[in-house]
Amino acid sequence: MTWTVRPSARGSDGRSHLKQTSDTFLDNAHEALQDANKVQFRDLLASFTPLVRDAAMDQFGQFENLRQHVKQLRQHSLENLDHYLTRFEQEAVQNGNRVHFAEDGDELNSIVLDICQQHNARHIAKGKSMVTEETGLNDYLKRAGLQVTETDLGEYIIQQAGETPSHIVGPALHKSAAEIRELFLEKHDLGERDLAETVDMVDEARQVLREHFLNAEVGIIGANALVAESGYSMLVTNEGNGDLCANLPNVLIICTTIDRLLPRAEDATAMLRLLVRSATGQPHTCYTSFYSGPRRVQDSDGPLETHIVLLDNRRTEILASDYSEMLQCIRCGACLNHCPIYAATGGHAYGWVYPGPMGSILTPLLTSLEQSSALPNACTSCGRCAEVCPADIPLPDLLRDLRHDETKQKLSPVRWRLGMRSHAWLARHPGLYRVVTGMGIFALHLLGRGKGSFSKLPLASGWTSQRDFPAPQGKTFMQQLAAIQREDKAREQKATRGKEKKPTARKPGKDGAGRSKERREPVLKEDWARKPDPENPKTAAPGKARAKPAASKKAKANPGGPRAKKPPQRQADD
Amino acid sequence: MTDSARARIFAAVRRASAGADADKIERELASFGKAPGASLPAADLCTAFLVNVLKNQGSADCVSNRSGAVKAVAEYLYQHFRSLRLVAGNDPHLAAMPWREAGVLPRFGKVEAGEPVTLSYALLGVAEIGGIVTLTGKANPAANNLLSDHHIVLVDSTRLVPDMEGAWEVIRKEIDKSGRPRGINFIAGPSSTADIEGQLVYGAHGPRHWHVILMGEQPENALEKARELAGL
Repeated sequence: MTWTVRPSARGSDGRSHLKQTSDTFLDNAHEALQDANKVQFRDLLASFTPLVRDAAMDQFGQFENLRQHVKQLRQHSLENLDHYLTRFEQEAVQNGNRVHFAEDGDELNSIVLDICQQHNARHIAKGKSMVTEETGLNDYLKRAGLQVTETDLGEYIIQQAGETPSHIVGPALHKSAAEIRELFLEKHDLGERDLAETVDMVDEARQVLREHFLNAEVGIIGANALVAESGYSMLVTNEGNGDLCANLPNVLIICTTIDRLLPRAEDATAMLRLLVRSATGQPHTCYTSFYSGPRRVQDSDGPLETHIVLLDNRRTEILASDYSEMLQCIRCGACLNHCPIYAATGGHAYGWVYPGPMGSILTPLLTSLEQSSALPNACTSCGRCAEVCPADIPLPDLLRDLRHDETKQKLSPVRWRLGMRSHAWLARHPGLYRVVTGMGIFALHLLGRGKGSFSKLPLASGWTSQRDFPAPQGKTFMQQLAAIQREDKAREQKATRGKEKKPTARKPGKDGAGRSKERREPVLKEDWARKPDPENPKTAAPGKARAKPAASKKAKANPGGPRAKKPPQRQADD
Repeated sequence: MTDSARARIFAAVRRASAGADADKIERELASFGKAPGASLPAADLCTAFLVNVLKNQGSADCVSNRSGAVKAVAEYLYQHFRSLRLVAGNDPHLAAMPWREAGVLPRFGKVEAGEPVTLSYALLGVAEIGGIVTLTGKANPAANNLLSDHHIVLVDSTRLVPDMEGAWEVIRKEIDKSGRPRGINFIAGPSSTADIEGQLVYGAHGPRHWHVILMGEQPENALEKARELAGL
């Protein structure tokens, strides 16, 4: 299914959402690159975070096996989501929860506010939750007069600074320690103090936030997984703030999405092995908690009332589309940490809640392609994100398909589309393509002979504004290949004629033609495909080697659909 | 919530789902087998558990029996607080400890804000994560895991399991016996954060110090060997 152009399902009333600036990604990115210190720090993080992830995976030793195991589980859960969602709801209700369903962000916000108001709550302690960033819950509750305090240190810092998260795991990683120090000195009325070290700032935040934990009437947390068989939800933190929110206030609200479901508790902890190593390079988080519902009669603490709000917000649409693999994302942030675009621009340039490769796919899917058409183009197709993605999501393929949808829906600039269309037409006429490119290359070769490169070039200002364009060396690849082929053919004919005349004169090893043929015979891809080697299973039946797996039910239901399901290409490439 | 939202979400999910029956779903799930796990740092379970506890920045003591455990608790308290007071959950295992032997003065119940040290009795120790499991309830108020500066955990060496799957096996039995607890808490180290410039700091919101006392039969010099393997 092509991702359709339509306005965001949310925000029509402008009530509660994070202002989206994804459409100005290029300007945002340009601006982000102006601060040399920030650029340097992002570079440092981009070199450091992959190292800790790689070290953890190397030590674990079975990344690929576990990734495939978890992928199977996630696929199975999503393919049978009706079964698991029904089961989860039954079990969660039996555990004493009230389970709510929200179709969009506004509905989630309204459900949460209703619960808070029913309890006359004024103070809300909130754990880290990207879902509530997505719905703009904090602003919504604040407008209703509630005091909402983010308790994850990173989230607390950006809340105090009036900013948004730049990373889905480390939301305040864009801020320097000096900036955070200034912020705390300004916001916390605690008299004169140095806050010279990071540990001092952490200690101060602990002291300030402890009061909020103890005073809050309602705690709000997210969930890293929902366990269908038992109705438990899994919460993973290092700070322990989420657990304090889940255990101290009298009312607990868990805000999460329907795609977090997994069948069994073991499946959640299997996923956890990948999640933690991919996110922070740790083998395990400090606190991994499973919560079933309100306090039992015999319990000495815990919330008296618990609610689970399950948000859809277009996820059922994604589930039914050819982008359904994106729902397998476990929100580890590894693709952000490995993305050269994210490293260069930082998270805010993406202009919405989810940055990096996963954000460049999720943002168009959760808002609209129209509002975020720059994001699928924020990709160098280097493939690092797909390599490290613990959910094995073919992120570059999905980004390419969004670009394809963009072109089809005429969202990309007219000039760009015309260029693509001309190129596509030319590529379908190989003879003409060779002539035209041959002429172009020759012309550039002549023009660039003196300097060897161009500092300005028509239609290529995107390149030449940043760096010189190297002048071509005279002939195209195809022209060079054809020349070699002609040369070889001539040698072969000469050798054959010589053989006919002097059949005994051929001296192996001294025959230039023989050596040359062995060394230089070009192997064209088409020839490789046409001439199967019976001893090589890959070439024995090339059709099979690159065959696509059975089409998905959705593809079957929509045989004329423009997109094929993604996995086959990866399989072939692997 | 509106019922119509629920109905619409379920209808959309059904349209996108495979429509398989429960038996088929169960069979497919069973066919995936067990997830690959992490290898343990030592062949012996006690040593492996201790290595990972130490790597998680926990501290550890090994004792052979309950008297030894009480003495170890007393030493820890005296060393850090020059006092022998602590708060412990109403766990029968803890109530039966010979506290008087070492002069320890436990208060049984839920920790109050400002009380610096709590003691929990772990349902399990999990070697794979170097962590312990507690179930919330009268025996283990959740606040006792979270609000104190120092969290001491007593782990019986017969209650060690190698991995998370082993832990779930025991937890399932416990649930069959006593019903689903409100919370199942895996704890693997003191609270920490790296939210400021990626610098790791211990003592974010939960305990700053996490001390594990492994009690019961265990290999000689297990702790020394664990320290060596943990590179300490």
